Amino acid sequence: MVVGESVAGATTVRRLRALGHTGPLTLVGAEPGGGPNRPPLSKHVLDGAQHDDTLGHALDGLDIELVRVAATGLDPAARTLCLADGRALAYDALVLATGAEPRRLAGPGQRGELVLRTLPDAQALRARLDTARSALVVGSGVLGMEVASACARRGVPVTVVDRQPPLERVLGGYLSGLLTARAEAAGIEVLVVDGDVALVGDPVSGLRLPDGTVLSADVVVTCAGDTPCTNWLAGTELAGPHGVHVDEQCRTAVPGIWAVGDVACLDTPCSGRTPFWSQAVAMAGVAAASVLGLPPSGPPTDDYFWTSVAGTSVKAVGPLPVHGPPDDVEGDPDTGNALLTWRHDGGPDTVVAHGRPITAGRLRARSRAGARSSVPAPA
Amino acid sequence: MKIIVDRARCEGHGLCEDVAPDLFSLDDDGELVVAHEGDELPEQSETAARAAVSSCPVAALRATP
Repeated sequence: MVVGESVAGATTVRRLRALGHTGPLTLVGAEPGGGPNRPPLSKHVLDGAQHDDTLGHALDGLDIELVRVAATGLDPAARTLCLADGRALAYDALVLATGAEPRRLAGPGQRGELVLRTLPDAQALRARLDTARSALVVGSGVLGMEVASACARRGVPVTVVDRQPPLERVLGGYLSGLLTARAEAAGIEVLVVDGDVALVGDPVSGLRLPDGTVLSADVVVTCAGDTPCTNWLAGTELAGPHGVHVDEQCRTAVPGIWAVGDVACLDTPCSGRTPFWSQAVAMAGVAAASVLGLPPSGPPTDDYFWTSVAGTSVKAVGPLPVHGPPDDVEGDPDTGNALLTWRHDGGPDTVVAHGRPITAGRLRARSRAGARSSVPAPA
Repeated sequence: MKIIVDRARCEGHGLCEDVAPDLFSLDDDGELVVAHEGDELPEQSETAARAAVSSCPVAALRATP
């Protein structure tokens, strides 16, 4: 049984079937219309409604029981999952893929804070952008810059506010500088502040900056990170502050329970919670193999990362963030058409395509080639 | 089974090319080239096509029955 109709959950189900599981298989999802593929939500879906109906995970032909009711509790000793409609489902093996929810800044009872995680979130924001004359985005990480880019595309003047320059935490200072310039050239105003901001108004109508200044806007969107969805696991030993901890096979501390995707936190040398699409897919493959007692076909990590800022795509493979200028530059970074390489001692290169069409597979090959060339030849 | 591509949504990640290189490839401009696009697929290609559809991070590929 898999809980969470996310890319992690859907991939786990597919991998279980592909690896030969022929027994009963249930996928439990909380979203009544089915969980969407999330990457388009902060891009195409904000531009128009034509994509809304084609975002679902392909689950055809898998012979699964699909239960679209939220899970509300778990009894690991009895191996049962409790649902919001009062049902209790028995399982032999359970994979948790319940994802994360947006961190919110609104005070108790304060209405009107916009976030972006689900299809209804994206539809609500899109509708507001239809008439908005100004927007504020809290957070200049991946999601915040994608939302700000959508505002700019739609002609809504937008300001992003964060304690750090755009994408600096994820990508490092050099790439942050390049992408900030692209964003500003597209009319996105970038504001770096030295403390916390607060939402003002009820419904929310603006932000109070650390120096007391209040900025107002028709639309205020919080893109300030996410929190793993573990509340429903209260009372079990599974939920930690950083999510459900798992080992290199995505096993939790509780026998018969695995966790994958945004809800999971890897306790391995490259540990932590990495809430990105490629990572969720990698963990799903490892967990499916482990559930069936098979050796995993790869590691529970995948470092392919992508985003886009103001129409310029960024695709990366290899360790991030990267510091300082790249060791090798092909093309022109300032015009948004370049392939950038950072070399690391004894490991794979970080290869970043900045506005240049190249596939994940070719980036991976380049990154690995860097690792081989940095290994000293045998004596 | 037929493969349908939403080209407005394709971002050129090329994960479909990784799992089904006989059916999908990206040219140097990042444009997706699909074998049998819009036509009935040979039966032996259906499993690979399904894997490619589910590999797409932006759900730009669909397989019709």
